Amino acid sequence: MLLAPAFAEQPAVPRMADGHPDLSGVWQGGSLSFAIGVENAKKAGQSAEEATGKPSSEPGQDSGPPYQPWAAAKRKEYLDRRGIDDPIGRCLLPGVPRITAMPMPIQISDAPGQLIILYEAFHGFRVIPTDGRKHPDDVDPSFLGDSVAHWDGDTLVVDVTGFNAKTWLGGVGTIHSEDLHVIERYTRSRYDMINYDVTMEDPKVFTKPWVRHSALYLRPGERLREYECGENNEDILRYEKLLKNEPLFDGKP
Amino acid sequence: MRTHSLTLLLGILVSTPAFAHHSFGAEYDENKPVTVTGVVTKLDWENPHIHFYLDVKDDSGNIVHWKFEGFPPNMLIRQGWRRDVTMKPGDTVTVFGWRSRDGSNFAHSREITWSDGKKMTSGPPASTGAN
Repeated sequence: MLLAPAFAEQPAVPRMADGHPDLSGVWQGGSLSFAIGVENAKKAGQSAEEATGKPSSEPGQDSGPPYQPWAAAKRKEYLDRRGIDDPIGRCLLPGVPRITAMPMPIQISDAPGQLIILYEAFHGFRVIPTDGRKHPDDVDPSFLGDSVAHWDGDTLVVDVTGFNAKTWLGGVGTIHSEDLHVIERYTRSRYDMINYDVTMEDPKVFTKPWVRHSALYLRPGERLREYECGENNEDILRYEKLLKNEPLFDGKP
Repeated sequence: MRTHSLTLLLGILVSTPAFAHHSFGAEYDENKPVTVTGVVTKLDWENPHIHFYLDVKDDSGNIVHWKFEGFPPNMLIRQGWRRDVTMKPGDTVTVFGWRSRDGSNFAHSREITWSDGKKMTSGPPASTGAN
């Protein structure tokens, strides 16, 4: 694998004063080549396999969500409707872990006792206590849920509950209930990559936990920009037209 | 191999990312690739998607209006676009993409080639909305 000159020899993973790996920086999850283009991804030192950003599964595990029959049927309805019901088509926050895979960078910042994650996508943010505390008892269901974290060796384990049921977990129709429980594991395994391992538990929709592995790629020189989805979202109007069989473009610019 | 062909192939053969263009399958038809040449009349550099319009001459020499959708500005910027520089009204371009499912002169763009040979990616590979 040809590495970009800056990373021809990987620097050591930086550590914070308390000895834990420093996760701070601007990172790109999901498919790097989708987010910044295939050529840019190659220049960033991605091997062809890494550049696909394909989330992998544990050996022997089905890569699809392990839905109960009723939930699989519900998902099929959404697939048959070709994704027209996607909440992010209405500019809603994508939920966790889906927001991590959006093709826009995220910024992780350390603060005393907290991790702050800023998401360019849909101007999401998460403030995550890292001192091992429990979830508060006054959580209102939300799109990104409530997060608390603790360190397990060099891995930051983030426990997320308190979700509403208005998001999809990944692809079309990947529904969940308010009982969704997500465990994210962030491991900065090398200078320019954080392993992002996610377990999703939801006894209302799944037959067993759904586990996915992917990565966050360091984006040197990148900065978050503004993404104001509501600026001119034509999708909503077009969905209405599609459902009424009206043309999507009347020929007048 | 042309970049767009390779990327389209990757999009089909490799499991698409967790973010698949949410509206692609609903609005566009991956079985209707189009290549359209015309003159840019307008570019809306907006979120969540840019839109641009071409005046296209049909076989009789009449002008037909086409509309195209593309990536959001931030994604374009990261792939080398600059607002008011890369695409301007008056540019003659050839756009490759996939047509609206209803057959109107509306398509999601994938790659654009300017008359001077410049090529830029402008949108995602096709997806069915079935992933």
